[in-house]
Amino acid sequence: MRKKLYAYFCLLTMLLIVIGVSGAKLFGKDKKIQITIGMWPESYLKDDVEMFEEWKRLFEKDFPEYEVVGKPYSYSPETFFPMAQSGTTPTVFQTWFTEPPKLIRNGFVKDITDPLKELGWYDKMDPSMRDILSENGKVYGVPRDAYGLGLFINLEILEEVGLVDDWNGDGILDIVDQDGNPRYPTTFDELREMAKYITDFEKDVYGKDVAGLVILSTNRNGGWQFSNIAWNFGANLQIQDENGKWKANLNDPGAVEALEWIKALKWEDDSLPASALLSYSDWYNYVATGRAAMAFCGNDVIHLPITNFNMDKNYVAFVPMPAGPYGHRYSLMGGTPFMFSSNATDEQIWGALKFLEYMGRSPEVSEVSIQSIQLGMEVARKKGMPILPSLRPWINQDFLEMIERIEKQYINVELSNFNDFFDTFDQMKRKEEPNYPQEMYELLDACIQEVLTNPNADPKTLLTNANNTFQKQYIDKIK
Amino acid sequence: MKRKTNKPTNKKSLSLTKMDLRGWVIMVPTLILFVFFMWGPLASNISYSFYETMGYTKVNFVGLENYVDVLKDPLFIKALINTIKYVFWSLIIGFLLPIIFALLLNEVVHFKGFFRGALYLPNIIPGLAAIIIWKFLMDPDPTAGLNAIFQTIGLKPLPWLNSQTAVIPLIVLAMTWKSSGATSLIYLAVLQSIDDTYYEAARLEGANVWQRIRFVTIPHILPTIRVLLILQIITVAQIFYEPLVMTGGGPNNASISLLQLIYRYVFERGNVAKAAAIGVIVAIILIILTLIYFKVSKKSEE
Repeated sequence: MRKKLYAYFCLLTMLLIVIGVSGAKLFGKDKKIQITIGMWPESYLKDDVEMFEEWKRLFEKDFPEYEVVGKPYSYSPETFFPMAQSGTTPTVFQTWFTEPPKLIRNGFVKDITDPLKELGWYDKMDPSMRDILSENGKVYGVPRDAYGLGLFINLEILEEVGLVDDWNGDGILDIVDQDGNPRYPTTFDELREMAKYITDFEKDVYGKDVAGLVILSTNRNGGWQFSNIAWNFGANLQIQDENGKWKANLNDPGAVEALEWIKALKWEDDSLPASALLSYSDWYNYVATGRAAMAFCGNDVIHLPITNFNMDKNYVAFVPMPAGPYGHRYSLMGGTPFMFSSNATDEQIWGALKFLEYMGRSPEVSEVSIQSIQLGMEVARKKGMPILPSLRPWINQDFLEMIERIEKQYINVELSNFNDFFDTFDQMKRKEEPNYPQEMYELLDACIQEVLTNPNADPKTLLTNANNTFQKQYIDKIK
Repeated sequence: MKRKTNKPTNKKSLSLTKMDLRGWVIMVPTLILFVFFMWGPLASNISYSFYETMGYTKVNFVGLENYVDVLKDPLFIKALINTIKYVFWSLIIGFLLPIIFALLLNEVVHFKGFFRGALYLPNIIPGLAAIIIWKFLMDPDPTAGLNAIFQTIGLKPLPWLNSQTAVIPLIVLAMTWKSSGATSLIYLAVLQSIDDTYYEAARLEGANVWQRIRFVTIPHILPTIRVLLILQIITVAQIFYEPLVMTGGGPNNASISLLQLIYRYVFERGNVAKAAAIGVIVAIILIILTLIYFKVSKKSEE
């Protein structure tokens, strides 16, 4: 009897599964056009959810044919591949600045060139941002914001060693003195000197272990930052011959010099952290907790030491990348993109793009976009986040004026500690190397780790080996 | 089978089909699950390895090209050698330890339960947490983890995970700390199942402690040792998250394992086909190892 029951149970389960699957297909359709929003905040972030609910309400009021569905998805390559394969990617989602080439290559994201042109956004997008999000002339994403690499400085430590002071007497430390002279390093030589000075001073006077500078080295972050350092030493890491054929150039003399510079910081000056395996979260952990004075990072993440480690926002300065020995001075630029599921219909894409306006993430200057940007700032202020100036992904004048006007009301940091970066960024910005940047960074990570762990490492040999691998495994395969 | 023969002959064929049907109904969900979750993915992994892929979509049949590419990747050789090193060090550090623990524990008279629990404790800590604890302890920073303790007692700080030669043994140490307790308990169970009369007989013959271990204990636990040896080799050859979390495979790929390389191919480089090719290669290596083991163990039994 029990066996019989069990058999029926099994049969029933199978039937239910079949009915469930087909039923979902038959009855699952709704008359409204559904757009799923991947950057929807997780439910525990109450303030943010409220903000998104408000945007949804406004959007659905203006476009009743649409239904906005929140589907919180925080991007990670591990989860994205299977999700994309099963066709359940949200209509629009936020990814990392490093991912577009891979997602485009694998056919996971949709070409949105036409709707962008229809909306008039195509020409309003910063051309260098558009380049990053494009392949073969087709655009695949909308930039949420732009970032450029710069130097993050912990002013508290610099004051401790006597390098900065409250020059203008407003109670906040200043990176620029009363005569307008920068007190931060403007060349890589000065940076090395200052890093060593800080480490030595802290050790000799206070007996503390403080690294002058953080150099990242894992998860491709090392290679990513190193490419910027190498540019400033005069290197081009990928070059194109007159026929348009690409060539790997990781062992450019400039790159070798840059790696030697890192090696010297480690073994001659001892001004880097002891660990040779530092990942992204380490830079803000180190600078926020006073274990390091300076670190390279993008301007879009200046808040991380403040929000994650309660660093006082008045101790933060963010300055331009230093210049190399031959006067090269670049800042690697990127951006956090919104991208769109390759399964989405044209109507869904249009709705998702339009929703970006209701989030204040479009070039449109309208009542609704102004309202949303202000709402965003209010929520950030309520959460105690630092509100900083930003780099604009759009270049239309009316948008720039609007954002400047709004930011002025909300910015809550000492602007003079940030101005030099934002003022010089336009002349310094340079986009990532075009071919297989992630794979290149992986190889460079290994070179950096080698010079950080082996005092006898030869930067030239390391980079030449990495270059050969990169050429054979990736560059030679470009069709 | 027996039940069938017991049935009266005239009803046999009818009841057989009925029973068969019922059997199948019970079996089918399990079969479906097996096909769906085990054999299907296995087969499709093999087929992926012969294609060029876009995401998880097969685009072009490329024959053995993925295998050739993967074998040419300098990182593959490095990962293979590292994986062998992991197995080697896990045998050096982690294989005898549980046996010794079990032998000691078997001799303990008081607080047996306490020692057993204490030994097993690290195994209760979730794997990732245990590894992260060790990562903190083995931080090369002179003011962090074990180095901080070293300094207070006047020892020089060590480079720990910064050292390319020590990194694999150190990771193996962390793994051993976590898992040796569980293995010890298996040995202990076997030890306790040995009939006391053997030991009594040995004592009567005048055998000392070492002789008792040599002639009674070891022959009894030998089959278990054999099984656990091959299991350990197979498990350690698939080491993945420990180096991923502790070092990310560094410094300069000194601790990258084959499975971590697969992970890199799929999730960092977005190349499913080549990852599948390495998967097949790893499987072949493990199958060969297992076959060798069976051969050897059969011989030693004979």
